[in-house]
Amino acid sequence: MDTLKNIPIVRKIGFNKIVLCLVLLIMYGMFSILSDSFVNYNRIISALNYAYFLGFLALGVTFVIGTGGIDFSIGPVMFCCAIVSGQILSKSSLPVWVCMIIAIFIGVVFGCFNGFMVAYCKVPPFIISMASMQIAKGAASVFTGAQIVKWPMAQDQTNGWFRNLVKYRLIGDTPRDVTIIPTGLICLIIVAIVCAVILNKTKTGRYILCLGSNKEAVRLSGVNVKKYEMLAYVICGILVGIASIFFVGAYTTVQPGMGDQYNNEAIAAAVMGGTSMAGGIASIGGTIIGVLIIALLQEGILAIGLTKDYQLVVTGLIVIIAVSIDIISRRKKN
Amino acid sequence: MGEVILTMKGIDKSFPGVHALNHVDLEIQKGEVHALMGENGAGKSTLMKVLTGIYSKDEGTIYFEGKEVSFSNPKEAQTAGIVIVHQELNMMGHLTVAQNIFAGREFRKGSFIDDQKMIEESNKIFKRMNINIDPTETMSNLTVGKQQMCEIAKAISHDCKVIIFDEPSAALTESEIQELFKIIRDLKKQGMGIVYISHRMDEIKVITDRVTVMRDGTYVGTIITEESTKDDIINMMVGRVIYEDPKTKSNVPKDAPVVLKVEHLNAGKMVKDVSFELHKGEILGFSGLMGAGRTETARALFGADVKESGDIFINGKKVVINNPMDAVKNGIGYLSEDRKRFGIVTGKSVAENTTMATLEKYCKGPFINKKKEKKTAKEYVKRLATKTPNTEQLVVNLSGGNQQKVVIAKWLVRDCDVLIFDEPTRGIDVGAKSEIYHLMNELVEEGKSIIMISSEMTEILRMSDRIVVMCEGRKTAEINIEDASQESIMHAATLRD
Repeated sequence: MDTLKNIPIVRKIGFNKIVLCLVLLIMYGMFSILSDSFVNYNRIISALNYAYFLGFLALGVTFVIGTGGIDFSIGPVMFCCAIVSGQILSKSSLPVWVCMIIAIFIGVVFGCFNGFMVAYCKVPPFIISMASMQIAKGAASVFTGAQIVKWPMAQDQTNGWFRNLVKYRLIGDTPRDVTIIPTGLICLIIVAIVCAVILNKTKTGRYILCLGSNKEAVRLSGVNVKKYEMLAYVICGILVGIASIFFVGAYTTVQPGMGDQYNNEAIAAAVMGGTSMAGGIASIGGTIIGVLIIALLQEGILAIGLTKDYQLVVTGLIVIIAVSIDIISRRKKN
Repeated sequence: MGEVILTMKGIDKSFPGVHALNHVDLEIQKGEVHALMGENGAGKSTLMKVLTGIYSKDEGTIYFEGKEVSFSNPKEAQTAGIVIVHQELNMMGHLTVAQNIFAGREFRKGSFIDDQKMIEESNKIFKRMNINIDPTETMSNLTVGKQQMCEIAKAISHDCKVIIFDEPSAALTESEIQELFKIIRDLKKQGMGIVYISHRMDEIKVITDRVTVMRDGTYVGTIITEESTKDDIINMMVGRVIYEDPKTKSNVPKDAPVVLKVEHLNAGKMVKDVSFELHKGEILGFSGLMGAGRTETARALFGADVKESGDIFINGKKVVINNPMDAVKNGIGYLSEDRKRFGIVTGKSVAENTTMATLEKYCKGPFINKKKEKKTAKEYVKRLATKTPNTEQLVVNLSGGNQQKVVIAKWLVRDCDVLIFDEPTRGIDVGAKSEIYHLMNELVEEGKSIIMISSEMTEILRMSDRIVVMCEGRKTAEINIEDASQESIMHAATLRD
């Protein structure tokens, strides 16, 4: 096992990421055997639709967990972004790109609030993000009068174009002959690369991870730790805003008062990918693989004929397993 | 020769990339104090951790009271009668002294905890140790020295046969050390086997019967303390003789400019109206007993803690220092007494720690120039002779002395004019110690100024040009090195209102 870990290429990619990729493949194989309908292009597209928004959420929360914090508000905030900006879109004549910026802006506002409260007011992240979650749910409900909000369909002449970000419909010889190109995957990969660069190559990323490891030592080095801790939440907020666009791009409708389940899934994806709950260690590549595993699982469970409720049970179990592995490996290192 | 109680034979232990223990032997007799010595990273702590079941051994056997044993965790070792007083304090700060001492084995009254009995039992132990600590006090309110005493109380409250002291004196004052020795002699009389790990040669001579020396994870030899000299032991440890005499004369010219002036500094209970001046090229020693307020003064000066009042002048200009950022901007660097908590980021690499305070110098726009960073890190690893396989090594894998060098490198890269060294050689072996002294002398020759807080009298007398003595938060004396003696310093250190 240890010799395997010391092969240069394995070391470079990371042993746990290789294991995760194997898990992903094994899961795919398993679902293919269990369900006749699983090996199907539409299934993959459907799984990817789930992976986009979840991916942005998980990337965001990776930064926060890197500081040793946690954010339980990301799911509901994503819904709040989508609902408020969607409502503005349908009630006004603003173009869709303006509403997309509004969505991101709302995410940033929540990120700033959480970050400020954690970094400057020293409120525990757990508490403040729980409170933000309630605020996000309530605010979205109030804004729409608890109504469902619909974003434009792909066929919409003026505003439908934004859905090409998620999937591009390539129309063939006849109008019924449509090939779907998963453009969202490209967006996700680009944003993930940007995140990886920020985390590993910039001062901000360096200080975010260092303060997650030992905040006091970083502060006593004369570093503005409050700024960098807050910045992690702001980056998370931006990504939550982006996630909301990809959510409505894939599913069109959003209902107020929901979104909690995505918190756990995003956190599970990050932790599974090797980001330590104690802070200080984070992996963008790992997070993305974690997201793909969860997205595949969602689709697979439906494909083998189980209901949505099983998905919840399974993600719950994944959180427990991923966090346990994190704790055990940390204990081993000490 | 007493009866052998514990034998470790051929103990071997490897960590990734480090052969920490290479077939090491150790034998402890009943009623002896056995010193375990060696430079940092020699493997003393690792050996003790193998013994008490914190680490599992790769090879070798351990015999305890004639039977082969193998403990899989410290609890098992404790139950068998082997306890360890750790170098790092393992206390729960929010609990009381009594609760800490009996943590995990609380007295019960029915299904409830019997606090009263725990307090009584704690008092009994303290009485036996002849020290005065209130068992109902909250642990975090005690000084480091007192906390250490509680740790020892906890260890001897177990019904133990072998007790290991891992650098117990590192945080203690002279008088506390004398108390500790009294306790150790008592335990010895009761027939316990005592392992005593320390870097302080004087203590070894006074308290121990035999010395086992380790070097680079190997066993060098065991000698009888009485029949050997200090130099013998040092030679075994490092293979070279290091001995320096106290400084007799200040090297600072009389007209050297004042680089730092602190006036009427007040911060909490521990810093009351402290004023002093630091000259260019000077090492200003801060002496005093544990809890005299020296660290607190340094932290308040550095902006790490809130200060209530006081003015700070740098090169004659008044500056505002409200947080460490301000301090670093004004050219002050602070090397903390507690390396693990306040000095290093253990989970990060040597390179990352080295540039921690200067990262903007290694950035192009928002991006870090890792090549340049690595180059600097390498340079300082070489200059300070830090023992590390490469600059990507995580600091957590280095020994204490080498971790300290990484923290020093952090401030040297920053090129601070005023350096505060708070217990710079705590828990560091003789070799690395003299290297750090050397470095400090080099720095002041370059025109930097150093405030050195130290609890070791020999260190204060060897390094300082001038000595500030504190007691209970007040400055009680300022002594030129020419007039300084152990007696004059001790007198000022106990000068209470």
